[in-house]
Amino acid sequence: MIEIQLTVNGKDYTVNIEEDKRLLDVLREDLGFTGVKEGCSEGECGACTVIMDGKTVNSCMVMGFQANGSNIVTIEGLEKDGQLHPIQQAFIDIGAVQCGYCTPGMILSAKALLDKNPNPTKEEIREGISGNLCRCTGYSKIVKAVEKARGYEDES
Amino acid sequence: MIVHRGKTIEEVIELLAKYKDSKIIAGGTDVILDIKDNKIFPEALIDISSIEELKGIELKGDFIEIGAGTTFTEIAEDEIFEKNLHGLKKACKLIGSPQIRNRGTVGGNIVNGSPAADSIPPLLCLESTLIFESLEGIRKVKLEDYLKSKYRIKEHELLTKIRFKNPEGLLNFIKLAIRKALAISRMSIATLIELDEEEKVKDIKVASGSLGRYPMRELEVEEFLLGTILGEYTVDEAVNILQNAMEKRLKGRPTLPYKKRAVKSLLKEALNQRIRSSRRVIS
Amino acid sequence: MRMSLDIVGKNMIRVDALSKVTGKAIYPADVYMDNMLYGKTLRSKVPHAYITVNTKEAENIDGVIKIFTCKDVPTNEHGVVFKDHEVFCSKKVRRIGDPIAFVVATDIKTCDLALEKIKVNYEEIEGVFDPISAMKEDAPKVHEGNNIMYHYKLRKGDTEKGFESSYVIAENTYKTHMVDHAFLQPESGVSYIDEEGRVTVVVATQYPHYDREEIARALNISEDEIRIINASIGGAFGGREDISLQIHLALAAKEIKRPIKVVYSREESFISHSKRHPLIMKYKTGADKNGKLLAMEADIIGDTGAYASWATNVLRKAGVHATGPYYIPNVKVDSIAVYTNNPFAGAMRGFGATQPPIAYEQQMDILAEELGIDPITIRMKNMFKKGSETATGQILTESVPLEECLNKVLEDMDLNLDRKGAY
Repeated sequence: MIEIQLTVNGKDYTVNIEEDKRLLDVLREDLGFTGVKEGCSEGECGACTVIMDGKTVNSCMVMGFQANGSNIVTIEGLEKDGQLHPIQQAFIDIGAVQCGYCTPGMILSAKALLDKNPNPTKEEIREGISGNLCRCTGYSKIVKAVEKARGYEDES
Repeated sequence: MIVHRGKTIEEVIELLAKYKDSKIIAGGTDVILDIKDNKIFPEALIDISSIEELKGIELKGDFIEIGAGTTFTEIAEDEIFEKNLHGLKKACKLIGSPQIRNRGTVGGNIVNGSPAADSIPPLLCLESTLIFESLEGIRKVKLEDYLKSKYRIKEHELLTKIRFKNPEGLLNFIKLAIRKALAISRMSIATLIELDEEEKVKDIKVASGSLGRYPMRELEVEEFLLGTILGEYTVDEAVNILQNAMEKRLKGRPTLPYKKRAVKSLLKEALNQRIRSSRRVIS
Repeated sequence: MRMSLDIVGKNMIRVDALSKVTGKAIYPADVYMDNMLYGKTLRSKVPHAYITVNTKEAENIDGVIKIFTCKDVPTNEHGVVFKDHEVFCSKKVRRIGDPIAFVVATDIKTCDLALEKIKVNYEEIEGVFDPISAMKEDAPKVHEGNNIMYHYKLRKGDTEKGFESSYVIAENTYKTHMVDHAFLQPESGVSYIDEEGRVTVVVATQYPHYDREEIARALNISEDEIRIINASIGGAFGGREDISLQIHLALAAKEIKRPIKVVYSREESFISHSKRHPLIMKYKTGADKNGKLLAMEADIIGDTGAYASWATNVLRKAGVHATGPYYIPNVKVDSIAVYTNNPFAGAMRGFGATQPPIAYEQQMDILAEELGIDPITIRMKNMFKKGSETATGQILTESVPLEECLNKVLEDMDLNLDRKGAY
């Protein structure tokens, strides 16, 4: 067992983990962030996407110990003072949610994109979410939702 | 399994000497799968993903050095690859997905040794040199030689840098895959072409991915095209030469007929882009 | 008079959208309970074999609570239409991935270790992997009796006469492949005994009521002793219609009386659940000089793999839809489902209506080309309209806006077709 420290959604955590544990399992099992989903376990589907030090990563492809000292944002960290993040609201309004399993990763990929590029083109949005699979085939509405959320002002 | 987060190159090469059965992990996009699938059981897993001295792209006189721990995202976003080296940027941008590119490193792409590694064909065209460090010192190997088995990474070595001369020519990269994102290359072609004032090929490098056991330079194609003007006839002939070379290497493989046909458009595109861009430069 | 519509045409907000965008929606794998155990399934590594199973060594591993096999199941069978699946294979495995045993242990790593230590002796027997070979008399039998498990016949008019009067006849064979649903959430579930003593299974399922029936039957308990809680479902598309882990989980909770959790890996998900039926479709279609369809014969063979699942319904639907949306006076369809040792096929988006268009639409294009008319015209001439009679004799009395649809498509595509003599 080794001890790691990490910040998740603005809160500091110290956890003892098994050496071979993935960041995905640390977040779900040790810290209870079950909004992080496991879909393929090999970096293909993006359901386990989190934002790590400002960049999206597949949390199934990061070892827990590699995340020591990092700053992580999961879907649970997007609401602020009971207010939904504009991307979350746009996903609801546009109807970009079906089975919902890709939704957390999809929203985080969209957030990382908009944080860097507040006014992406449709093509850039598609590229930005290209690491996230939706099997209900709801891509059109997902892209539409990100278009709707684009240009928002991040208060943080 | 012991895990260790390296902070300096020195510390890592000491650890590599200490643990006989160790594995380096950087982006982890390949290693973690091997661990999960019980393909490897390293005694020690040494993380290099947070070592600053392994990261970054530096222009040193005529040479460009890329730290082995530089991610594909970092390469794709570096201004140095905006102009004539665009082919390397393109290759890195076509790897995996944003998530994979944010973690995966150019060093990992090289030492993992997949025939489909997208960053390798452009680096082959650039005649890159790999720099390995170990307690025994520094070893420099041409990437082209490295890909042949006997020069491969040794257990106690760390790949620290990739180095190449900033070329005069224009670097291109074309990839064929079943879809745009998250698709491993079926095959890829990189070209580095410099034309003289008469638009004759002054210097040319052609490298391929997945047309053999490892990515390689296509010397026969280069030899043929050198000194020619890239037109319909020469390009068609170059395709023939490449197809014949593939035939020998991939004989008996079920993918050969498909690849032979597909390589035609790939090479044409890789060469024709050059025709277009050179005209644009001249006019 | 136009009906006033409260829902249609209005933007409705999904009731579960809020929980899904905030990550609060609970899928079965998100359930963690106190005192929880983990379960894992041992699956066949070969497609066709007689088996004997020895769990002794695995049972002695520290942390292994119990290993379930066919001996532990009162009624060892299940299946949506025919009860041709076993909960755990008793004598024979019929496909790669058939469940043989279920390990319950304190953690997943112990489950994995136990799976390695269970000894399965496979006495391999010849398998059959192609439905056409499987139909032969002397083919290896996947189950007792013939491999042909369903034959749907559709007869209308006289096709021989129809072909005789035809000016052009197209005869071709089309094949479609197996498809996995690849729903994003691999199968998972948690079972426990609830406060009222009921065997409770939290699962993502398309049929909670069927699951309850199947569990009751397999465990030989009454349905009111069972509770199925349908959690959020991470995609299904037909792939969660058959039983996967429900009976295993219920059995384990009933015996051990502790919460038990199962999460399939993506690989196990692929190996264990149903696929879209691959179809071989032999078509013969005849038309007169003007492109009016006169006769069609279709032989459709569906590979249902090791188990029937919904094969009867899927192949019936393929047969019923074999003409496509075209009026044909003389029709003969034979649609057959065949057992093989391939992964089993079942429901998937379209349920047998998805594959035949590959065949009948290409037939239309080929006929059009032969006759020198354009592909739109030949469709316009033959398509169903209000009042048309289908091959099964149904009179379409309600709205059939196909012509309107195709015209709209034409308009928007701005196709410059030679439409002379179209009608």
